[in-house]
Amino acid sequence: MSEQSVSPSLPGAPSFFTAVKAIVWKDLRIEQHTRQTLSLMVMYSLVTVVMFNFALEANLAAARDVANGLLWATILLAGTLGLHRSLALEQDNQAIDAILIAPIDRRVIYVAKVISVTLFTLLLEIILVFMFVVFFNKPFWQPAVLFILALGTIGYVAAGVVITSMAIQTRSREVLLPILLFPIVLPLILPAAIAVAEYMTGQPEMTRVTSTVSLVLAYDLLILAAGFIAYPYVVES
Amino acid sequence: MIEIKTLVKNYGLNPVLRGVNLHVQAGEFVTLVGPNGAGKSTLMRIVSTLLKPTSGLVEIGGWALPRHSDRVRRYIGLVSHQTMLYADLTAQENLLFFARLYQLDNADARVARAIKYVGLAARQRDPVRTFSRGMMQRLTIARATLHEPDVLLLDEPYTGLDQDASQLLDDLLRREVDYGRTILMITHDLAHGLNLCDRTAILNRGKIVCEVNSHDISSSAFLELYADHTRHQKKKKQTT
Repeated sequence: MSEQSVSPSLPGAPSFFTAVKAIVWKDLRIEQHTRQTLSLMVMYSLVTVVMFNFALEANLAAARDVANGLLWATILLAGTLGLHRSLALEQDNQAIDAILIAPIDRRVIYVAKVISVTLFTLLLEIILVFMFVVFFNKPFWQPAVLFILALGTIGYVAAGVVITSMAIQTRSREVLLPILLFPIVLPLILPAAIAVAEYMTGQPEMTRVTSTVSLVLAYDLLILAAGFIAYPYVVES
Repeated sequence: MIEIKTLVKNYGLNPVLRGVNLHVQAGEFVTLVGPNGAGKSTLMRIVSTLLKPTSGLVEIGGWALPRHSDRVRRYIGLVSHQTMLYADLTAQENLLFFARLYQLDNADARVARAIKYVGLAARQRDPVRTFSRGMMQRLTIARATLHEPDVLLLDEPYTGLDQDASQLLDDLLRREVDYGRTILMITHDLAHGLNLCDRTAILNRGKIVCEVNSHDISSSAFLELYADHTRHQKKKKQTT
């Protein structure tokens, strides 16, 4: 049968960015209605920070020493909740199939999910930074620290979307996600935490900051490129 | 419009489709019935570009799958027993989202028209999670036909619907037939399978074992035919 056999008013495929915008709009709209992802991440982080704060209260100096590590650990743990929730949404009612049969590139889904989960995680980090400044009296509010946090978040989410998309299809997805994800993001989190730690001293050693931030940046670019290329294969049945 | 030739699909070493042949003409309504595990859903997932075949030919509108999946996706709509809708979005937001994915002109007007078409105008601003199963399925039809596809694929669309909701779905499908869409439906509901369509095929153990013109056969005769073809296979299985 020739192409002329199809009706003349058929739709065209949207541009890559139009499709990305549509999926991000949909994710934000769902969050606006339910407020589940962000509130879940914030509540989880709040409980973690308060518990650690109480646990270390006997020794405030020790608490301040581990504040940087605790911040990253909280971001990682709360981040898995955001990733899981964002991709589980697509599995409910098998909505992902409706996206997969739409005339869009599979990589659109990857880019859109990285954008929406990064937005949620950055919002969480704003709240976390405020909490950490209050509880631990550490200068996490510095623009350089916020920049490193944002870079770390992008790499973490970029890896997380790929891993979650695979884990979400398994029965033990809640357990599998951190087990698969954390070792993969270790090369990102270590230099990022070292760079932030430099700023906590008050006198950062710039050569060390530059080298560690370069590593974070390289990881971000590498994992974004790998995710972008691999994602169509990840979502194929 | 849909051409399937010697289609094979294996999951590992397990063969699910063993050389399916089926031809659906433009504007024709064909129903595929079969017992559980016959391979109906696998076949539908291949035709809807969600799954790649192991071997064989599948063409829609002359475009071969999976090679031209991107092109074919513009021409197909899929209704499944899963709604494929976002429960936390309103009916209107759901359709707007899909209108954007298909780059439809005048998306707002089209969405309003589609919602009215399935009789949900009064509930368009309500979240889908507050809808009954029948309402969700009507909205699913609106979603699947929003981009006016030439081919409508229906995968067990009657699952979970009560009598009234099934009747409403029948009416909607009749309108789709009148509209001239090519429809391929799979179901294990023999009554619905036969009533609406032009042709019915029986799929059993990964093969089309029988095809009949639905207008030339009574329900009871078809039931007998169905039992004969599936019982025969069961007996064979038991002996082996």
